[in-house]
Amino acid sequence: MKPAAFEYHAPRTIGEAVRLLAAHGDDAKVLAGGQSLVPLMNMRLARPRVIVDLNRVRGLDGLREARGVLKIGAMVRQRVAERSPLVASRCPLLRDALGCVGHPQIRNRGTIGGSVAHADPAAEIPAVLAALGGEVTVRGPKGARTIRAADLFVTYLTTAIDARELLTEVRVPVQPRGAGWSWMEIARRHGDFALAGVGVMLALRRGVIAEARIALTGVGPAPVRANAAERLLTGSRPSDAVWQDAAEAVRGAIDPDGDLHASAEYRRHVAGVLTVRALREALGRAGAPGSGGRGRPRREAA
Amino acid sequence: MKLDGTNTLPAPVQTVWETINDPDALRRCTPGLKELKPIGPDSYQATLTVGIASVKGTYAGTLKITDKRAPTHYKIVLEGTGGAGFMKGEGTVDLEAQGNETLLRWSGDIQVGGLIAGVGQRMLGGVGKMLIGQFFKCLEQQFGLPSSGGAAAGGPAAPGQPSAGSGDR
Repeated sequence: MKPAAFEYHAPRTIGEAVRLLAAHGDDAKVLAGGQSLVPLMNMRLARPRVIVDLNRVRGLDGLREARGVLKIGAMVRQRVAERSPLVASRCPLLRDALGCVGHPQIRNRGTIGGSVAHADPAAEIPAVLAALGGEVTVRGPKGARTIRAADLFVTYLTTAIDARELLTEVRVPVQPRGAGWSWMEIARRHGDFALAGVGVMLALRRGVIAEARIALTGVGPAPVRANAAERLLTGSRPSDAVWQDAAEAVRGAIDPDGDLHASAEYRRHVAGVLTVRALREALGRAGAPGSGGRGRPRREAA
Repeated sequence: MKLDGTNTLPAPVQTVWETINDPDALRRCTPGLKELKPIGPDSYQATLTVGIASVKGTYAGTLKITDKRAPTHYKIVLEGTGGAGFMKGEGTVDLEAQGNETLLRWSGDIQVGGLIAGVGQRMLGGVGKMLIGQFFKCLEQQFGLPSSGGAAAGGPAAPGQPSAGSGDR
């Protein structure tokens, strides 16, 4: 399998990359880790005329915290973020979700920015961004702009990023101290795309849920933030009955498609089940500041 | 892959019937339709580029309209092949008067095969529904009235928002 012929550019600076994208527009495709784009090109399902390879661009691999926000350069490899002590302590939800992205070999090459820009409907990182209210910076011919997660993911493989813009940074708010979290997903085989997945963050104050964040992947054209479930949880005391209500709210908020791998009904059902499990796990982790390092992501076979 | 749905169009049955039989309207509204050349009565040669984002395939084939019962019913038979695979589909359209408006009921059974089906299976149903939604959105606009959904001017039509049906069962 070999791709159709294309013109190849390897810019060294962000400015150069942006100029190339501005010049080629829809004809150009950005190459980051290549874990989605290259197979599509090899199968000739995607035939971009121009490739702008970011692998030599300087300044896209930063990973730092500033004023309560984790700032991740677009080209930070998923594996680097997954193993970063900073990510583990400030945003363990992201760390756990990263453990479910494909396989380690894929994560060694795949990038945080690439996954966000590719916007696969079953991807993990977009759902974490949706749950925690992250945002991205994109640079285009007219300068830089910020796009919030809620406005970023439009539909299958489609974001609000223009073809002439380059995603340069992904920002995720740091989880509040002592907040519990959980990433749960279900796939037919380890490493497959999730049939359904859910990310949860819970912050408690005096035994009452002060803040709840829930977002799902694999159950629609784009990540789904479960606003109704979050509202229902906020101000409640944790209990199985409340978890079940939240699961019902989640089921009501999604409109999954069925395919060969799982019917729509199954996906809807499982999204609720995973929500309950994730809420329980998040509760178990809540209230212990600095407890970020323990526990691995849960992934179960269907 | 079976898809179905209903749409209410702001025009009387006769007007809707004429529009869905008008090659120009079909050409304008079918997402990715590059060419629609009549090769006989109710029979066309079609070139279609369908897909999402950079994953697109071009299919060349035929589109036939059969089982016509003016002004309320017809069947569309579609067949195409391309580098990424083949597609074959059948759909029926039924119109029903509802005052000054028309209730359009559609259902289709589409088979997609080859590489695109193997790789894109997860998204085929959803993308199909979205494209059909775009088709009906465009039809609504042909009647010059805002749709009942009231998508604000300038805003991109939210995908999946048109009352696309219950999807694949």
